[in-house]
Amino acid sequence: MKKFIALSLSMVTALSLVACGGGSEADSGGEAKDEGGESGGKTEISVVAAEYGQNTKEWWKGFEADFEKDNADIDLQVKVVSWNDISKEVTTLISNENAPDILNIDVFADYQADDLLLPVEDYVSEETYGKMYEAFLQQSEIDGTIWAIPDLASVRTMFYNKQILKDAGVETVPATWDELTEACKKIKEKFPDVYPWGIDMTTDEGQAAFSYYVWNNGGDFTDADGNWTLNSPENVEAIEYAIGLINDGYTNADPATETRYKLQDNFGTGKIAMLIAPNSLPTYIAENGNEVDYGIAPIPSNTGTSIAQGVMDRFMCFDNDYSDEELAAITTFFDYFYEDARYSEWVDMEGFLPATTTGGEALAAEDEAMAEWIEIVGSCKFYPTAKAEWADVKQGVINVEQNALLGESVKEQLDNLQAEIAP
Amino acid sequence: MKKNIQKIEPYIWILPSIILMSVFILIPIGFVFRMALSKVTRAGLIKGFVGFENFTKVLSMPTFGMVLKNTLVWTVAVVGLSTLLGFILALLLNNEFKGRKIARAIVVFPWATTLVVQASIWKFIIDVDYGTLNTLLKKLGIIDHAVNWTSTPELWFAWEIACGIFVTVPFVTFTVLSGLQSIDGTYYEAATVDGANYWQKLFRITIPLVSSSLTVSTVLNIIYVFNSFPIIWNMTKGDPGNRTDTLVTYLYKLAFYNGKQGLAAAVSVIGFLILLACAMVYMVSTLRKGDD
Repeated sequence: MKKFIALSLSMVTALSLVACGGGSEADSGGEAKDEGGESGGKTEISVVAAEYGQNTKEWWKGFEADFEKDNADIDLQVKVVSWNDISKEVTTLISNENAPDILNIDVFADYQADDLLLPVEDYVSEETYGKMYEAFLQQSEIDGTIWAIPDLASVRTMFYNKQILKDAGVETVPATWDELTEACKKIKEKFPDVYPWGIDMTTDEGQAAFSYYVWNNGGDFTDADGNWTLNSPENVEAIEYAIGLINDGYTNADPATETRYKLQDNFGTGKIAMLIAPNSLPTYIAENGNEVDYGIAPIPSNTGTSIAQGVMDRFMCFDNDYSDEELAAITTFFDYFYEDARYSEWVDMEGFLPATTTGGEALAAEDEAMAEWIEIVGSCKFYPTAKAEWADVKQGVINVEQNALLGESVKEQLDNLQAEIAP
Repeated sequence: MKKNIQKIEPYIWILPSIILMSVFILIPIGFVFRMALSKVTRAGLIKGFVGFENFTKVLSMPTFGMVLKNTLVWTVAVVGLSTLLGFILALLLNNEFKGRKIARAIVVFPWATTLVVQASIWKFIIDVDYGTLNTLLKKLGIIDHAVNWTSTPELWFAWEIACGIFVTVPFVTFTVLSGLQSIDGTYYEAATVDGANYWQKLFRITIPLVSSSLTVSTVLNIIYVFNSFPIIWNMTKGDPGNRTDTLVTYLYKLAFYNGKQGLAAAVSVIGFLILLACAMVYMVSTLRKGDD
């Protein structure tokens, strides 16, 4: 008996602690109400939305109230989830067969691969669909069908501290890699305590660094036909160049653990002279109480043509066997969301860029600085998020960068990654 | 009849906790096992049984060996050093001195703060740009340039271990302290009369009598520390290149960054088996003692 008790006790002890620590799958979906359905005569639709910043929750609260006031027969449930948790949350909801009706997140291909999504044409009215930038819609295309619509965009380009560049004797803002290295050298000599260039190769966003250098060296994640080309000579050269900047001491001290937010803070306090950041950087700096005399320039390129990076997020609709009323309610939701005035407010809320032509025109007319960005957004390049292997590629290139920082060969690693992704 | 009820009674009393444990522990664990043996899509759908495929895949990944080694180093270093330090601290705090109550209260602080906050504070202290450690050393004139305290992954890991020790020591201290206070003072008096010195008393009286408290704290700490997530996640996220990952942070990344929940569940099960083995060693040894 004693032995039995001892054994079961040890089982329970270990079990309970594994459950606390490791069994993250056990997390329940919290208080999300995700079943599309009808209650009390009202049509219910559930939305899970990403929290872009400090104003997102408040904005959605207002939206929910306005929407329900104008559409008395629809019960809208919006749950705003932080970026850190949203994919975990959605995965848990899906595994529990509890997918939300509408999801606002960055990626969609994994959900599409499991046949969980409805094509956009099933639930977005023609009028709303017509407002989107064509180039943006194309980012959500798989096999000729559009599976998601963009909710907003942002553009990454170079920001520099005018004062530091001037004092260090950098007369023209670096446009090529050689000029960039030269500028870094001058800044380092003049201000040993300033990091000339900011690089983020963390698990959070190391794939962004990969694209900044690779795209501006004529390389890419894929070729024109969409085949992975991770180990192309241009890619290897580009990453070696970035690692070289770090090894020469021209960047922040620890690119593997310093996220973009730390770099942005350092730029705001004049500790970093130049970095690549989203168009919302000035808002970010001001909100954190810093002030810096900054300039904006294209990302330095090794090919003569600078490529800006676009980041785009999306709305998608899960296939939850909707009745006609429910589908109509979802259409109403999108029409309401993309109404020009309301949509401009959404985009403006956290300093993003619009994904609709009408929204773009409205914001450009209002604000000249914005007009510049809106012009860039039309021509920038995006991650290949429509490809099913993207999650592996993203983590893969981050690993390559981090191991390269520890002295491993870029070429060897990219060869291995390419072999793993596209055997 | 009455006898029967008496027999059943204790089970009725523990029934609520058994139900709670089943719902919140056993069933989720069952799900993890099912996932570890299934093909799971990136979106989280389970698509059929695949036997031990997830396990063989995990075991063949080169990073897994490194992560397992990290986990062992992390657990042994944090538990070993905090047990030693906690024991010494408990001996000190067991002495009568002025301000003993305040000293005891201070020792609880690191334990009473959440790990996320602790880890963030440690990260802030050692930060190369704004860290208080650099500022302090500069003010004292010991260094004249900011020092990068985390220039290699090994250094990062060492700081994480230091943070882990800092938050684990209080638990050991208080467990041992409770053991120390239950030791009858007459043992020491008798030993003094017999001419025993400090070390003899320590090794012949104190340690044997607190050994059961020490064992409890050690076993619990092994399990807590092995599964500890917040310190490493907040300081490095296992970066750079998995060099500071332990099994728990590694499986979290596998599940929610790489979308490989089947593999993550397999790692989770492997961790569980390791802990189960530890817990069994403990239980069996207590059982033997009980029989003696």
